[in-house]
Amino acid sequence: MLGKLSLRNMKRSAKDYMVYVLTMTIVVALMYAFNSLIFQNELAEYFELVDLMAVMIGFATVFIVLIVAWLINYMVRFMLEKRSREFGIYLLLGMKRKMISRLYMRENVLLGGVAFLLGMLAGVLLQQVLRAVMYAMLQQEYRLHVSFHANTILLTVLLYMGCYLLALLRCKRKFRKMNISGLMHAERQNQEIREKYEPAKRVLFPLSCLFIAMFWLWFGHLSSGGEIVIFLVGLVLTIYLFYLGISAWLICYVRKGGNRIYCGQNLFLIRQFASKIRTMQFTFGTLTALFTLALMGTSVSFMFNDYENTVLQGKFPFDVQVYSADTTDDFADEREVIDRYVEGSTYYTYSIYTDGKNRANGWILTHLRSWGTMYQNPDGTPNWPLIEEMLLEEHTYYWQDTYMALSDYNALRRILGYEEKSLEQGRYLLQVKPRLLEEVLEAGVDLELEGLTEEGVLTCGEVIGDPFSQDGHNGADYLLVVSDETAAGMQPYYAEMVAQLPKEAPKGLRRELDDLVREPEEEFALFPSGDLCCGSDNIVSYAAVNLVRRELVLEVKYMLSSIVIPMFYIGLVFVCVAVTVLSVQQLSDSAKYRFRYEVLLKLGMGRAARSRLIFKQLAAYYLCPALLAILISGKMILFMSGRFVAMTGVPAGSGKFFLQSILLFFGIYLVYFAVTYVGFLRNVEGT
Amino acid sequence: MNEYIRVCDVEKYYGNASHVTKAVDRVSFSVDRGEFVGVMGASGSGKTTLLNLLATIDQVTSGHIFYENTDITMLKEDGLSEFRKGNLGFVFQEYNLLDILTLEENIVLALTVQGEKKKEIRKKCREIMELLEIDGIRDQYPYQVSGGQKQRCACARAMVNRPKLLLADEPTGALDSHSAQTLLETFGKLNREIGATILMVTHDAFSASYCSRILFLKDGRIFHELVRGDKSRKAFLQEVLDVLSLTGGEMSDAG
Repeated sequence: MLGKLSLRNMKRSAKDYMVYVLTMTIVVALMYAFNSLIFQNELAEYFELVDLMAVMIGFATVFIVLIVAWLINYMVRFMLEKRSREFGIYLLLGMKRKMISRLYMRENVLLGGVAFLLGMLAGVLLQQVLRAVMYAMLQQEYRLHVSFHANTILLTVLLYMGCYLLALLRCKRKFRKMNISGLMHAERQNQEIREKYEPAKRVLFPLSCLFIAMFWLWFGHLSSGGEIVIFLVGLVLTIYLFYLGISAWLICYVRKGGNRIYCGQNLFLIRQFASKIRTMQFTFGTLTALFTLALMGTSVSFMFNDYENTVLQGKFPFDVQVYSADTTDDFADEREVIDRYVEGSTYYTYSIYTDGKNRANGWILTHLRSWGTMYQNPDGTPNWPLIEEMLLEEHTYYWQDTYMALSDYNALRRILGYEEKSLEQGRYLLQVKPRLLEEVLEAGVDLELEGLTEEGVLTCGEVIGDPFSQDGHNGADYLLVVSDETAAGMQPYYAEMVAQLPKEAPKGLRRELDDLVREPEEEFALFPSGDLCCGSDNIVSYAAVNLVRRELVLEVKYMLSSIVIPMFYIGLVFVCVAVTVLSVQQLSDSAKYRFRYEVLLKLGMGRAARSRLIFKQLAAYYLCPALLAILISGKMILFMSGRFVAMTGVPAGSGKFFLQSILLFFGIYLVYFAVTYVGFLRNVEGT
Repeated sequence: MNEYIRVCDVEKYYGNASHVTKAVDRVSFSVDRGEFVGVMGASGSGKTTLLNLLATIDQVTSGHIFYENTDITMLKEDGLSEFRKGNLGFVFQEYNLLDILTLEENIVLALTVQGEKKKEIRKKCREIMELLEIDGIRDQYPYQVSGGQKQRCACARAMVNRPKLLLADEPTGALDSHSAQTLLETFGKLNREIGATILMVTHDAFSASYCSRILFLKDGRIFHELVRGDKSRKAFLQEVLDVLSLTGGEMSDAG
């Protein structure tokens, strides 16, 4: 009998909490698909950094399990509250608490089981989509290939059960404490509206607005750890207290008899909204936090994805490039290795020169935006002791300025298919990374090089920003191009060789090249980097003695996708969980407070007007936490992406990623909103 | 006589092909302007269905209901809500006050739905609250006041638009005897002082004795009618009780 009862109840719950079942299904599908990347990753064999993806997904999974457990717990408690009268009746009939608790748990497990099975089916489909996307990202050919892997299924089952265990444990305690009259009256609990000290609480609203404004103004200028902690605490407080403030503010407005409440349905709307926010302020705060994190996660995801699609190719313009600290190196060993792999490659060997001075380094350190005024004296002149200390300690720039001879420069430009450059008497060319071109031009290159030629001073003839492998090979960030005669008068700094292969570099080439330079003590280093200095690139920087384009592009892409994919995963799950809570709340309210809408009908409101009212009510309810989250995450994302664009040179406005994630966010939002709106209307109109 | 509402041969069936319930079976009667009419009957006699038909909440199966010259059975959805807005007021057993609004706001809501101006709204609201003696608790929420006060607020909300007809469905059903008496006196006051036409459904003889005329309903049909005339309320109550005792035990299980 109990089994039958719980089965029937489960069916009813599934109908009532459609949105919840839907979300659990989506969550299982996502879990399965992403977990499959840990175990069924054929791509992994290809790369050295296999485990990074697994680690990142594992990391994301921790957050996801926690948040899903929260959702289950929330829903279980919520359903318990809604059905308290029913449980009271069971108690009256003489059922033992233990039995009821077991009945309820069994129902929930059944419900979870159905969602799990549906989710697994959807997960197998999603897995294919995910893999197709990943293969496309890595430019590999993908063949549809449905397979089940015991470990993936096992892990998904374990995670899912873990969520349930976490959630249901806390619920048991609730059952132990219940009594009949409490249960019979629990349904009416939140109908009371407590209003105390509203004028005082109202202050919280402008206060939180003020804090958000301050946050926008100062976020980029936070420097010390203390300030950051203060801001974070303020942010959390704002997220939670904002709702208390806005509800108090609305209540005060209604009490004062503001003009707007006398027009149309505003009175009902405002009151409904204020009282809902008041009873749900903590849930709303948590939802805002989830939305904020989700927006940030997806934005980061979009950033790295954009980097992959735009900048990465330009980072490695030559098929193969090799560095050697030995200025007399003829690269015979490397040529032999390459020849063994691919026949008919063409080689070009050249030197980077130095004049033994630090003039260009000093100029760069005092003029690039990323260094700010760090290496300037108060009067704006270079702070030489500090610059020298920095050059010695950090491998950002070479210890001495880097030069290239014009003939070498033009030879390399020919290889890359760029037009050749010429040099006027008394001039030098400045070759910089593409992302630095604009700011260097803006700063105006006033660097004058004395003592290099007999005529005297060299001035800058042109600044060039073509992709030129300037992460340590052709200089770090910059390269000064001078005439061959001038270069001949300088000291060779290090040697370089580029190779153009007639076909794509085969797998394993780089490893063999690396073996040539790998010395015993470097056994554990991932890539031998020698004395390479990779310039001011940040976030994604890649320094290696041997660059083999094809392998590197794939590898960096794979590495980046292990950030992109888990971030996306987190973002999606967080948004789904948060919207579910909103939807379920509204749907159950619509059933519980159906009479409110009936009263409106009896007061003479037409059905169409009532539907409009419900639409407005839902819209306000859905938009409020979303807008707050957008306001808060907006500043952080704009700041992050601003930095990201500046440091990686992605050719995008910093608002792009924010916009993309908002679009994605509202896409999901809209689906849930539509489902809720339709369900709400049905609940209100149903007889 | 000033005939105001005319119910002609109204029928209402529920159910499906295999099983039909006649909730209202060929009922005809009329109500005059300023009358206070009671409808009595046991549970399931069809009195609430009849009220819902008059209230335009439910549609007749056959027959017509005229409010002066308007046949509401011919109106479409938009017309009906427009009609409700201007002509009807409701009071129910469960009060149906919105718990998120204060008493005053509950009344204001009825006026804003009508699209009235702020100044007008405040004036009307103040008047009706004073009339029903609830202006002292205007800022309280429904859960903070007694059942009688809630029901008077519901009356105020129903009457604030000066509807042509006030429909009351077991208004005293959830009230203690003292509150019930106060409420019925309020109905009497509304009826006398602002000339409200009231139709009240009840199964309580005491409540019915405040009416000027009573229709007795049984199995969907009107089987008796009592008019108070110049009789005292006490004598009228006795008459009602006599009718009820005549019908036997069927009525008493509801009372």
